[in-house]
Amino acid sequence: MSDKDDIETPVITEASSILEDGNCELAPNPESAEQSAKPEVNSEPVVFTRKRPESRPSIDLETSEVLPVEASQAAGKETVSKDVPQTGWGYWGSWGKSLLSSASATVATVGQGISNVIEKAETSLGIPSPSEISTEVKHATGETNAKDNANSSPMTGPFGVFSTISTAVQTTGRSVISGGLDALEFIGKKTMDVIAEGDPGFKRTKGLMNRNSTLSQVLREAKEKEELWTSNEVTVETDKKTHYGLLFDEFQGLSHLEALEMLSRESEMKVKSILNSLSGEELETLKHELEQLKEAFSLAEFCEEEEEEKEGDEDFTKEVTELFSQLHVSSKPEKLARARNNAYEWMSTSLGKPLEEKEEGEKQLETEKTEQISKNSIEDIHAFAIRSLAELTACSIELFHKTAALVLHGQKQEVTALERSRALSQMTIVLCKELSSLSKEFTTCLTTAGVNEKADILNPLITAVFLEASNSASYIQDAFQLLLPVLEISLIENKTELPEA
Amino acid sequence: MEAIWLYQFRLIVIGDSTVGKSCLIRRFTEGRFAQVSDPTVGVDFFSRLVEIEPGKRIKLQIWDTAGQERFRSITRAYYRNSVGGLLLFDITNRRSFQNVHEWLEETKVHVQPYQIVFVLVGHKCDLDTQRQVTRHEAEKLAAAYGMKYIETSARDAINVEKAFTDLTRDIYELVKRGDITIQEGWEGVKSGFVPNVVHSSEEVVKSERRCLC
Repeated sequence: MSDKDDIETPVITEASSILEDGNCELAPNPESAEQSAKPEVNSEPVVFTRKRPESRPSIDLETSEVLPVEASQAAGKETVSKDVPQTGWGYWGSWGKSLLSSASATVATVGQGISNVIEKAETSLGIPSPSEISTEVKHATGETNAKDNANSSPMTGPFGVFSTISTAVQTTGRSVISGGLDALEFIGKKTMDVIAEGDPGFKRTKGLMNRNSTLSQVLREAKEKEELWTSNEVTVETDKKTHYGLLFDEFQGLSHLEALEMLSRESEMKVKSILNSLSGEELETLKHELEQLKEAFSLAEFCEEEEEEKEGDEDFTKEVTELFSQLHVSSKPEKLARARNNAYEWMSTSLGKPLEEKEEGEKQLETEKTEQISKNSIEDIHAFAIRSLAELTACSIELFHKTAALVLHGQKQEVTALERSRALSQMTIVLCKELSSLSKEFTTCLTTAGVNEKADILNPLITAVFLEASNSASYIQDAFQLLLPVLEISLIENKTELPEA
Repeated sequence: MEAIWLYQFRLIVIGDSTVGKSCLIRRFTEGRFAQVSDPTVGVDFFSRLVEIEPGKRIKLQIWDTAGQERFRSITRAYYRNSVGGLLLFDITNRRSFQNVHEWLEETKVHVQPYQIVFVLVGHKCDLDTQRQVTRHEAEKLAAAYGMKYIETSARDAINVEKAFTDLTRDIYELVKRGDITIQEGWEGVKSGFVPNVVHSSEEVVKSERRCLC
């Protein structure tokens, strides 16, 4: 299997493939150095000189018969849950939840690589326009053959395509392609396992790559890989624009996450030792109360479909601010609201894309649109979308971190831990919904701006936005879970009048 | 911000409440002075690249700690993983100067088994008319603890760059001499990535092999 050959850490693979590109491909095809191609090259060390995704749809089509074999292999590792409604991205919230609640933050580890593969899944979700696929297939067939040769891979036909995909993803990729939303579920839940099993390149980090690893460790890994990769690339600046992990760190998301983890761990230890010191009725009462807290953290209502398709600008800010005031912590969500509003502003002003509440003005804007869109290439929009998602997520995690610090060390408040938990739970939902609608906005922009682009250029960008949005939601939900021990110890301390630590 | 740097240093900024830690850091990382700022909750994070020699960049991760006593248990946790620190007092606030000793003792206890290279910073030096601490006594105290002393102003952007870059250079020298080493499990100093350098033999082999196309 060609993946044996390619087994290395993904970063190195990517890096080397860049070298390869440089040595072998760039020379005859100078246009491949165009920065517009960069995000693609980043995410996947494809040997193509042009945008890489030509072969993707063909993977789907060509391998449709073969995949069951792969899928069954995958099934051996993991039973994929199928209860997700196959309704496409519109129900993002639903799969976001299942992804997230299962510690799917791990997706980030595969980073860009997996996004390439997910694209496939996305195709079946109906995001790309199916009418364009047939065109792509033609491309793909040619590319596939060419690539097989280039790889001198024993693998031919459908699998040859994969041999150039970032190795970490290869294994996953095959399983993923077996079907739409299931695939996304699968990625979310099992990426880590698959990587650990299928990619010896992860040897060094394997210790980290299990359920016990913390979210920040996983994210740090991903970021460091991205750093390593970017540092091997000449045009660092260009590439960094679309590296979610690097951007997330730049917005200090990683640091706040680590800080939150630290507080969470400390609290958890305290809770344990207190529980150990109690017995009898006292213990039972406390356990019961802690159980109520846990329920508030279960995000049961997350998948409810009562949600409105689109909320106005004000609503988000108002809602988050209101929830924050319910927490009775002195921290304010201004930074978050600003980041979010900036994203919408960028879309509406610099792209000329009317927000939905401004529909009256749409006609007028329509004329300017074409002109303005040309100023913002789809790559620009994509880069800004990834940046916004990273920023919003970092801000959200910062808020959670500050909340934890204030719950633990703030002034005593007239609010119970249970009330705070409910407000935080609600906030998590609001944030995740916001990420969902933001990503929808961005992809609408992409679709509008890229109306003349080929699907194989546009789709990966759209997919990447959705993927990072879902990752973002994962991080936020994971971070939210870190608050549970903090509120538990706060509950206990308020109850037992223990002096604050 | 570029992703390429030689080392990453973690610096911690400590000192009494309201001496201007956050303002100093924001001046350094964002280039502006925030007139009003809320008290820091727990700890905040900033970063910036510093070029210590042409082409040699160091990434500084700066931990801004809350001066308020109630957050002390949180901020303590950050001493251990810092390689350097700025210990601030307010030259118009004698009390904050008297507490310098306490701060040093506190870090000493919690930084074990590592060490932090500190610089003593007399902040708000633009308010010279309200000065309660003379330069001379501050220098004396700094020398007693083997620290450098520098006076800064975030409002007027005096010596802000110098405070950070001098400390960075000092740490860099210690790293170069091997007095400070990168250690597993310690975040104080981390190696960065050098551009366009092949990182492992594996990779060389690999790229050659794959390049048979």
